[in-house]
Amino acid sequence: MRQIQPLVDTKVVGPAESALALRLITEMELLKLKAIAKLHARGLPPDVGWDDLLQEALTRVLIGARLPPENVPIVMFLAGIMRSLKSEHWRRVANRSARLPTLRLDQASAEGWDLELCDPAPTPERSLSARQELAAIKQLFADDIVVLKIIAGLADDLSAEQIRCVHGISRTDYDSARKRMRRALLREGLTCEKK
Amino acid sequence: MRKKVTRTSVSPEAKLTRVLEALEQELIDASDEEILAAAMELGMNPKMKGSALFAGLKYPARPQLADFFDLDVGIKAQPTPAAAIQQRTVPKSPK
Repeated sequence: MRQIQPLVDTKVVGPAESALALRLITEMELLKLKAIAKLHARGLPPDVGWDDLLQEALTRVLIGARLPPENVPIVMFLAGIMRSLKSEHWRRVANRSARLPTLRLDQASAEGWDLELCDPAPTPERSLSARQELAAIKQLFADDIVVLKIIAGLADDLSAEQIRCVHGISRTDYDSARKRMRRALLREGLTCEKK
Repeated sequence: MRKKVTRTSVSPEAKLTRVLEALEQELIDASDEEILAAAMELGMNPKMKGSALFAGLKYPARPQLADFFDLDVGIKAQPTPAAAIQQRTVPKSPK
């Protein structure tokens, strides 16, 4: 009996491949996004990887759930989606850990309901995690004092001008430190995982 | 009148958000040449087919079960729905 050939190819095309095929992004932009995704995936639980963040962001654009505005570069737009996915994750975790309202049997009337509001302040767990993430980022630039000063300034919400003034860094030194910072971030972002 | 302005302590979460936003912007501003240079420094060439740089992008970052086992074996061993219906409907021959 003649074997009927399967109509559908068994190869599954991922969102990144689809985005490349549709020329939504270039290979270089994809690598840039990989480094950004790794930066945002820091501190997330091990079951949520950087690749999950990036592929989900790409999927949302591909299926039309998020439409990129014309005047915003695609990398910036996708980075924004990854940021919102991360906050969405933490919001979900906070809601899950919040105590669910209970209704006592003797108060089973409409007046018996109490509205429980969640505290928007970061939990001790989140604060500790943020501290550890900051320490890990500083560890990346442990040998570079100028970069560490810049990071401290950025954490204090200082502008580039203010950072240069406070720490006495010349414009040239500041610009070359930023270049070193970018190179280190790219190296870290493009490195394969140690498993 | 107070002569000193004391800064209120900022939560580590707010500090981290600011640092991440700034570092993200640095990466967005990175040029193609800088990406290529970083890749070359790591001994990887993005122009090469199957480059490890695209792990997690074009192919999975983590090894998959299918990389080690032929998962089709189980599927092939299972009867197709049509064959299963046929098996049930065909009367068993009397012994």
